[in-house]
Amino acid sequence: MSQDVSLMAHLMRRAGFGATRNELDEYLSDGYETTVDKLLDPGESNHMPDDLIRRYHVDQSELRQLDCAGAYWLYRMLTTSNPLEEKLALFWHGLFATGYAKLNQARALLNQIDMFRQYGFGSFRDLLVELSRDPAMILWLDNNENHKEAINENYGRELLELFSMGIGNYSEDDIKECAKAFTGWTLKNAEYMSVRASKDSIWPYGRIAWHYEYRADDHDSGEKKFLGEVGNFNGEDIVDIIVTQEPTARFLSTRLFQYFASDEVDDDGVQVIKAMMDSYFESGFKVSAVLRTLFNSDYFKSEKCRYSRVKGPVESVVGTARLAGSYQEPTLDVHSLWAQTMFMGQGLLAPPTVEGWHEGVEWIDSGSLVERINFAAKELSDPTKDGVQDIIRRVTSGYRDFIHAENLVDSCLDFMGPIQVGANTREGLIEFAESQGNLQLKNGKTDQDGSAQVARLIGMIASTQEYQLA
Amino acid sequence: MVITNTISIRYLKTIGIVNNGFNGRGFANPYDVAIGPEGNIFVLNRCDPARRNAIRVGVCNLDEEYLYEFGYGFGDGDGQMMLPVAMVFDAMGRLLITDEHTNRITIYSDEGEVLGKWGHKGESEGEFNGPAGIGTDSSGTVYICDQRNHRVQKYTADGRFLAQWGSQGTGPGEFNLPWGLGLDAEDNVYVADWRNDRVQKFDSNGHHLKTIGDSAVEEEQLIRPSAVSIDENGNIYVADWGNERLQVFNSEGEVIASLRGEATLSDWAKDFFESNPDEMETREISDLTPDVPDHLNNPYHISSQTEPFFWGPVSVRIDGNNRLYVVESNRHRIQIYEIE
Repeated sequence: MSQDVSLMAHLMRRAGFGATRNELDEYLSDGYETTVDKLLDPGESNHMPDDLIRRYHVDQSELRQLDCAGAYWLYRMLTTSNPLEEKLALFWHGLFATGYAKLNQARALLNQIDMFRQYGFGSFRDLLVELSRDPAMILWLDNNENHKEAINENYGRELLELFSMGIGNYSEDDIKECAKAFTGWTLKNAEYMSVRASKDSIWPYGRIAWHYEYRADDHDSGEKKFLGEVGNFNGEDIVDIIVTQEPTARFLSTRLFQYFASDEVDDDGVQVIKAMMDSYFESGFKVSAVLRTLFNSDYFKSEKCRYSRVKGPVESVVGTARLAGSYQEPTLDVHSLWAQTMFMGQGLLAPPTVEGWHEGVEWIDSGSLVERINFAAKELSDPTKDGVQDIIRRVTSGYRDFIHAENLVDSCLDFMGPIQVGANTREGLIEFAESQGNLQLKNGKTDQDGSAQVARLIGMIASTQEYQLA
Repeated sequence: MVITNTISIRYLKTIGIVNNGFNGRGFANPYDVAIGPEGNIFVLNRCDPARRNAIRVGVCNLDEEYLYEFGYGFGDGDGQMMLPVAMVFDAMGRLLITDEHTNRITIYSDEGEVLGKWGHKGESEGEFNGPAGIGTDSSGTVYICDQRNHRVQKYTADGRFLAQWGSQGTGPGEFNLPWGLGLDAEDNVYVADWRNDRVQKFDSNGHHLKTIGDSAVEEEQLIRPSAVSIDENGNIYVADWGNERLQVFNSEGEVIASLRGEATLSDWAKDFFESNPDEMETREISDLTPDVPDHLNNPYHISSQTEPFFWGPVSVRIDGNNRLYVVESNRHRIQIYEIE
């Protein structure tokens, strides 16, 4: 197994949803660092066209309900040529967790995801300002109830605690002053929209989408003292102060490290996070600079970093479906795909709380593990899928009459990732392959039974513990 | 109201309310409308996945009385539908409905009795891959857009294949995923050539006569037109789906009117607010035609926030009294205008 291929596959499991061998070959022709640069500055993406989705799926044109919006985003993840753009949007969706249950407004949530795409790689300052103006976030954390004469601290508190600095780095007074600075930051027709949201009203003519509105007459324009600074601060001034704080750099770098590198932060990880913090300040708070430092670090490239994260449900589902080549055209089945993410514990656009999902090993319990294995095994053991057929073609390339079970296992592991498995797992897979007998070929090709035989082995590999790790 | 030198289109009323259940008054992602022999309004409800078992045709009248409905559930059994697209009454008063998933046309009586069906998946003569728009001419001949085969097919009233024309492409007589179809008084056939952003006009034998839209003139440009109908004067009404508007062309293909929509509360909507005064109170202090910020400044997003505007105009039909019906799948209603 080529080390270059193995490293690139590692990068794409983290900075994307995994990659097919065709995709890996393209990335390898660019080289590692150029690929990192392209992932971080991707330009316009190719993905399933919006008009095709909306014509086929009347529900995804209207976006009245959660499942429709989740499926709509899944199509983008499944077909995008900019995988890191979607992976990073998913990261922001978990960090700035905003949920459908309170809003009942799927279009506004998808607009928020669009905002993550637009600002997610850029300045953290700009991202936090846009987040503060985002109507879904405003209603989610009650900033529409944050008035000059009666503040609501909810958004101000979470901005500091969950979105930027972390608890212990500010005072209760800072929270109050922060909230005052964001008075008047609301959404258009806030009164009507909040009533509709609270009643989940779709009448008379379906949902009405939202946009931001600043009400100057409801803004507290008085003097405020925030994190030791005094001034006539508005919300943007508050964000300007937040992003210059060292705890903010540490908070952001740590969260990015845990999402893209390793669930656990060891001593080596601490050093990487320090380097990421330096990049944060040197670049003027740019997220892409922080990620570049991470992806190009020796730590990230090391063997220690590989397979040290549990795949989240969405990256597991999307990665498997992309490998299988499924869902490349609109299909009624996409709704059950969204339901799979829900069954596995990560319903898109439906985080359990403002804290998002508990990640790492907490993704796995007995129920969700069964869902994961069943989904992956079913998807990848289907020899009619384009992606499975491609793996079969590659596995059999170079052979004429038959492939011995051991070689078949190693070859499938190679072309499904490459995926590294432990000795016991490999032995078990060989035992399974031997139980099916050597793979017989005719002029170097499988017949229908042979394709099914390889596909069963591919499905078995997708059932291993190692397949659940990124 | 739109008045130009050549046409006057006056807003009449809106019928509809979103139906979140499985039957009864209201619409569920309506996709087409047809006016029955008695003047009743038949509405094809495509339904979202959560309500797909209630795919149905609802029948009301211009006075907004909900009369009855019929449907046989989601599936490919007799009378059932999966992804219905369009419908039309033929000269015998039978209702023909296309289904792009089951690849067939089902014939119903106006009471909902299943009278017949034809079609299955394929690309040969008489087969379909996504039947969409449907229309009939003065002799009862049926014309159907065969979406993913990029062609128009022509049948007898009972489904015997007669002819076809078109293939995938961008040239005259070629199509890219055609959707809606309409006919004029001379039995010329107009096709909403959806992904080519134009309408093409043919004679009844498929000879290309004219292309409408796809023009360098901005106001004449169409984006993903979904439906087309022609009035008694030869004016052409196009549901300009991608622009969320109705474009009206004269027979020369020049734009003579453009409508963005001006829906008001239907009687059913008024009933809702009578029993939900808290919503009405806050609604009355709201601006439902707001200026939308730059990053949302495209027709889809504007319509998603502007309740009176068309949102998802998937069908336009004209009845025998010069009334114009625009069906909005995303707003579950029909805006009705009078052509004068």
